[in-house]
Amino acid sequence: MKYFLRRIAFFLATLWAAVTLNFIIPRLEPGDPAEVMVRKLSGKDAQLDPAAVKAMRAMLGAPDGNLLRQYVRYLDALAHGDFGLSYTYYPYGVTEVIGHALPWTLALVGTTQVLSFIIGITLGAFAAWRRNSRFDSVVTLGSTFLGALPAFWIALLLLFAFGYTLGWFPTSGGYEDSIPGWNGAFIGDAVIHSILPAVALLVTTSVAWVLGMRNTMVLNLGADYIRLAKAKGLADRDVALRYAARNALLPSVTGFAIALGGLLGGSVLVESIFDYPGMGRLMAEAIGNKDYPLLQTLLLFIVVGVLLANLIADMLYGVLDPRVRRTPA
Amino acid sequence: MHKRTRAMVAGAACALLLGVAACSSSMSGQSSSDGMIAQLTFPAEVSDTVGGLVNYNPYSPNPLTSTWLYEPVMVRNGLSCTITPWLATGYSWQGTNQLTFTMRDGVEWSDGKPFTAEDVAFTYNLMHKYPAIDKAGIWNDTFGAPATSVTASGDSVVLTFSGNAASKFDDIIKQPILPEHVYQSVGDPSKYIDKSPVGTGPFKVDSYNGRRLVLARRPDYWQADKIKVKKLVLEGSYEASEAALKLKSGGLDAYWGEIPNPQKAFVAADPAHNHFYYAPAGTTVLDFNLTKAPFNDVRFREAVSYAINRPEISAKATYGIMKPASQTGLKLPFTDAYLPSEYTDAQTVLPYDAAKASQLLDAAGYRKGPDRKRTLPDGSPLNLTFSVQAGFIDYDAMADVITRDFNDVGVTTKIETNAPDSVDAQKKSGDFQALLEYVDGGCQFATGLGARLASNQIPTKTDVLPNVERWRDAATDQEIAQLSATVDKSAQKQLVGKLVDTMMTQFPVTALVYAPTRIIYRTDKAVGWPTEQDPYAHPADNRLLIMTHLKPAPAA
Repeated sequence: MKYFLRRIAFFLATLWAAVTLNFIIPRLEPGDPAEVMVRKLSGKDAQLDPAAVKAMRAMLGAPDGNLLRQYVRYLDALAHGDFGLSYTYYPYGVTEVIGHALPWTLALVGTTQVLSFIIGITLGAFAAWRRNSRFDSVVTLGSTFLGALPAFWIALLLLFAFGYTLGWFPTSGGYEDSIPGWNGAFIGDAVIHSILPAVALLVTTSVAWVLGMRNTMVLNLGADYIRLAKAKGLADRDVALRYAARNALLPSVTGFAIALGGLLGGSVLVESIFDYPGMGRLMAEAIGNKDYPLLQTLLLFIVVGVLLANLIADMLYGVLDPRVRRTPA
Repeated sequence: MHKRTRAMVAGAACALLLGVAACSSSMSGQSSSDGMIAQLTFPAEVSDTVGGLVNYNPYSPNPLTSTWLYEPVMVRNGLSCTITPWLATGYSWQGTNQLTFTMRDGVEWSDGKPFTAEDVAFTYNLMHKYPAIDKAGIWNDTFGAPATSVTASGDSVVLTFSGNAASKFDDIIKQPILPEHVYQSVGDPSKYIDKSPVGTGPFKVDSYNGRRLVLARRPDYWQADKIKVKKLVLEGSYEASEAALKLKSGGLDAYWGEIPNPQKAFVAADPAHNHFYYAPAGTTVLDFNLTKAPFNDVRFREAVSYAINRPEISAKATYGIMKPASQTGLKLPFTDAYLPSEYTDAQTVLPYDAAKASQLLDAAGYRKGPDRKRTLPDGSPLNLTFSVQAGFIDYDAMADVITRDFNDVGVTTKIETNAPDSVDAQKKSGDFQALLEYVDGGCQFATGLGARLASNQIPTKTDVLPNVERWRDAATDQEIAQLSATVDKSAQKQLVGKLVDTMMTQFPVTALVYAPTRIIYRTDKAVGWPTEQDPYAHPADNRLLIMTHLKPAPAA
């Protein structure tokens, strides 16, 4: 019980720290949102119109008062679930803007995370079981090689090859001509548009699972209980899957939980490259436009997502692995 | 960073495609037999579109279109400075503190209700109640005295100001006019989400699916005979190389953004149909911080302005499209009517003359040391740091040329690349030595060139105001005050002449090349775009002006 209470206290403390950092960091950056917005509307080779900047400041109502007062107001608004109005999409509320981007990211990044976890774990387990076989060499070497390539680079390569050169897939956006909704035309449209980004994400994210799984599995395979299981004359398959893989999976569970938590942030680079209308691109936009309310809420989402996922993983761990509960931290 | 890399990939893709002769796909003529253009495609007017967040409110920061639904009272051509009557048929100033518009008769809102002078007065008065939409600064003291009342009677609208407000004119006529019968009941207009727009404009919304906005021609538009485009599609926000690809494939009919070297990237693919028109919007200038030595010394400023190779800047930063600019601060030859007589025949584009620069520097006491580097007259080292915005490719190219030219005459110069926001912060704090800036070449000299030199327009801790170089001169201030208080042409000319004289003799800023506004277009479907020969519209002008000139391309 003490273990769980301690975890929850830790969660609350980190949450407060995160919320505070979230407030401070955007304000340390130079630049005034009103000027950024007016500049964007007027273009680079134009004089900033002071009248327009004045009106924009009156519109956005930000930032005024000293930092402490802003901070108190920010905490108060957060406590009431009021995230404010987005500057970029003014006068739409931040929650509404996020509500439009979240489904795209959940569909794209969520699916690819789960798929890549399953694929990565399976490949890793088999590679460890058949270690030093040709299959193992290909998988291990291949993942090491792919793992060294940044996701955005793979995305650009895919875009160049299959988007521009071969023209098999659309090069940007989440959909084209269809009307968003639950209709076949739209879903087909959206699926076609998500293939290239999904492949880019799949390739890069599953690599980490492969290597992690293979290594823990190899360690586990050397353990005494495996030798015992083999000595008992259990089938190879059973030893691999029920004994070794099950135990080797434990560290990956935490990793997977954190990955799922981070999912709310989407993938900034891959989404931006494919102009995919999800959370990652929204974040890039929020940074570019100095859209403090949107940026803060997005960061908050990610932090809370990761922390919650962590908490759940910790709790689960306590259930899955009794050793954790006993060791004094 | 990823955006730029992406552009590179797109460019590379295009190059590869060019190899197989597929980069330019030919388009069949689209003009239909009814003398209309079936469809034109322009880029989306907003770059950020989370699909489904619809707003047509022209006073929100991000309306899906701010051009085709709501109209202004008048449209100014930024090049010739002529004014085209729009919702108003005429205007007159009574002194410089009262402005009267005469409104057009027979204009209808898209819901069938008549448009009246009341709507115009309502719109301007709304800005009083809600300063957040007062983008013209009508009710505050930006560029002139605040308004005290706006009233409508019959077909005229009268704006009364508490003092001289002549300089507000260009901003006033630009504001989109709202329908009173809709906007009177929506509360704060800056917070209003306008999903079913009622405008006086040539188009109405046909459909929007979160990416593509389709606008349909209004047959009941008040000058419908001039609108030949039946369907206007606004879709996509493109970078240079993507835009070039789209333009070449016919997926885009016009583009207003920057495409480096448009001649090679676009026109060459189909010279008969692919065109561009780059017109000067103002002047790109080199700003020294005049509060610091040696830049507070006019002899230094004059000397180094001869050290700059402007033709090379033009070639490297603009592919030779934008010409070296006149030191007068005026867009020549478009505004040479304002040139004082002593300069009409003079060479006001400063020549590249490194020998003269060296000689002037020597004479002013900036002597070369044994290491061939110049020092200040008191013998302390002279080190110039040039602050340039990261990612502004043309600025980077200009700074490279200038830095090399300065080092050639012994003025030690180095470039410091900063994020654009940081450069803005430097403009506010004054913590810089030299940077690149822009002199507005607008039709109102008091707020363009004038604001560049007025001491009350020096940037503050919170605002980037135009006088970045911090020119402070009582006589200049006086001239600008007089200039902003007159609507009389000959008085304007005389006062502009004085500012030109300051530019030519005091070098508050150093002119480099003209800064462009751009339009890049194809003529297979529509003709009548503005050209160098027929500059009826400046590319940066309200696109309504261009739309009323477009005609179907003659059948091939």
